[in-house]
Amino acid sequence: MSAHASAPGRAAPRPPRRRRASSDRAKADRRLGYLLVAPVLGLLALVTAYPLAYNLWNSFHEVNLGVARSAEPFVGVKNYSAMFSSPEWVDSLWKTAAFTAISVVLETIAALGLALMLNRRFRGRGFLRAAILIPWAVPTVVSAELWRTMVDPRAGFVDYLLGSLHLPLAHTTWLNGVWSSWTTVVVADAWKNVPFMAIILLAGLQVIPNEVYEAARIDGASAWQSFRRMTLPLLKPALSVALIFRTLQAFLVFDVIYILTGGGPGTSTQTLAYLNWRTFLIDTNFGYGGAMSIMLVVIALAIAALYVRFMRAES
Amino acid sequence: MISAGWRAHLGPGGCWGVRTKGGATLLALGALGVLIAGCGSSEESAKSVPASAKQTISFAISGLGSEGEATEAAVKKFEAANPNVKVKIEVLSSNSTTYLQQLQTRFEGGSKTPDLLESDVTYPAKFADAGWIKSLSSFKPETGKFFKSEMEAGEFEGTVYAIPWFDNPEGLFYRTDMVPKAPESPEEVVADAKKAMQQHPELKEGLAFEGHKYEGAITAFLTVAPAFGGKLTASEIDTSGNVKALEWLHDALYTSKIAPTAVTGWEEGQVQEEFTSGHTPFAIDYPFVASVAEEGGPAKGKFAYIPFPAGPGGKPGSALGGEMLAINAKSEHSAAAYKLIEYLSEPEVQVARAEACGDPPSLPAAYTEALYRKDPVFKAVKELNNYAQPRPVSPKYLQISESLQDAFSSVFANSASPKGALEEAASRVKSLQA
Repeated sequence: MSAHASAPGRAAPRPPRRRRASSDRAKADRRLGYLLVAPVLGLLALVTAYPLAYNLWNSFHEVNLGVARSAEPFVGVKNYSAMFSSPEWVDSLWKTAAFTAISVVLETIAALGLALMLNRRFRGRGFLRAAILIPWAVPTVVSAELWRTMVDPRAGFVDYLLGSLHLPLAHTTWLNGVWSSWTTVVVADAWKNVPFMAIILLAGLQVIPNEVYEAARIDGASAWQSFRRMTLPLLKPALSVALIFRTLQAFLVFDVIYILTGGGPGTSTQTLAYLNWRTFLIDTNFGYGGAMSIMLVVIALAIAALYVRFMRAES
Repeated sequence: MISAGWRAHLGPGGCWGVRTKGGATLLALGALGVLIAGCGSSEESAKSVPASAKQTISFAISGLGSEGEATEAAVKKFEAANPNVKVKIEVLSSNSTTYLQQLQTRFEGGSKTPDLLESDVTYPAKFADAGWIKSLSSFKPETGKFFKSEMEAGEFEGTVYAIPWFDNPEGLFYRTDMVPKAPESPEEVVADAKKAMQQHPELKEGLAFEGHKYEGAITAFLTVAPAFGGKLTASEIDTSGNVKALEWLHDALYTSKIAPTAVTGWEEGQVQEEFTSGHTPFAIDYPFVASVAEEGGPAKGKFAYIPFPAGPGGKPGSALGGEMLAINAKSEHSAAAYKLIEYLSEPEVQVARAEACGDPPSLPAAYTEALYRKDPVFKAVKELNNYAQPRPVSPKYLQISESLQDAFSSVFANSASPKGALEEAASRVKSLQA
């Protein structure tokens, strides 16, 4: 592009025409650009924008598939005010927030440990790096079913192991208690997602030049000091990316809950996404469900914006 | 620079690019239009093809297996007897919730197919209320020939919408070699279970039931509830009978401890395994357990199937399960579809199905000595049908069920009292009705 716009001095006699030619070209290039992204935009419009707009419309109307189809009257913000004043929704919001905070913190610590370990040189490192990705590659539904079997009080491996090691909790019906259910959900979720975070962090670790550590060592820094002062700050970009992904995923957690607990016992593990599913597919209330979905999107965007802002402020 | 190179391929002026861009937008809009139109089409009133005309009807069933094979066999015979009608069987999900969602999607899209559909006993009210299935009153169905409780599940606001196909009353299995005689009250069940556990160390528990947070927990509860004078309707949830029944189940887990907390993960399949592999002397489950037990194992030939024994002021308990047949409101082949319903509810056809896959007939007339000789459990099934209680017949049954499942699961986890949990469920159901 710069070639066309260059040499303004020499082209003095007929600058307007040349500029127009170049701007024509720029326009054509832009058109080509639009053309090339059109299929993707179309697809996005179809699978993202349309459902979002449809939900937005629903959320301001009374739409219930279970009621013989008639008018779907405009109800203003009724669905939203019903949601904010619903103890069930508020309860789910806090539970989801707590789950997100706890599981993301635990997963980050575990993933960081794993990444630091995989960043060292040892025999079989390549194999191990590939192997830790397996849990992440297993679909959540499958891994959740796996965990459901493992915590089964009769046939499960978890109680058997605790029992043979003479540890407490060997006779726990894991999914039949509020805290034990949450523990199972957090562990099953971490088992699947820690590898993903670890790989992102590992990539971050690998771009830190070794010289930095060598210099630190010469200056007499301890291992902890070099981790605290070198590794962590230099890892920040990778860490932020991993955190954004995981926080959003954790906030929208559904499948692991659906398989493991079904929101139970009672409604004690009912997260926002689960409640949303229930409103759509059990209650077939698309108006109220639409409001919940829109709120989920708003919260997710807010979380993402917060992270991005935080990252910018840091850099 | 690269883009300038690309431009050369597009010819002079880049006009092609402009037109194509507009074209692409149009195309995308068109696709969207098709999508939207596809979702809300076919509002025209259903044409009706007479039963005698040459036609193909579609019949949606839930899953295949031995039940599906029995359906295919019956349909073949129907086609042979009615050469003008071809039946296309559409096999949808065997998971009942997924099956319901598949049907719902079709109905919502205004689909004219399936013409005929299998429906759980808890769906007709919902389908009828939404206007998705056809009133069958114009065909003048002989409602009197079916078991009364299942027939009621097919009626909505006084009109027949679905015809019973087969009938699955849930009851109590017990081991005749471990329990001296049939228990006559809930207390006797507890005492017998305890005694059996003491005398037979190979037992892992005294009672197995469906305690998982799913639909089966409702039928397990409803099998016990009548024994305490309880019943389930949209307006009768936190009654004293129901509270007592739920207390009994709770105590089975935490006081008498005849049932392990593991039941909170069990569905009908696991309960059947516990019983047929000889881990429990008592199990609350569906009739299919009998045919599995007869295949072999410790329980073979040593069990009986009875309604849950009544306490004072109660009556013997059984919960109605089963499948019905209904016709899509938009179907153009309702006459031929109804003909198939009539065929499937003939006693001989129902007996053949019972023999092929163990599905109990929905007609008392099909319960004959010949059927009992084939499998004596059908004698018990017929008896149970006299007591079978339907779950609340309501278009909002799914939501009622969810509220009850929440209540039961928190009681089974010992994190709520039976009374409190049922009161909460009742108030939620009340807010649904409003």
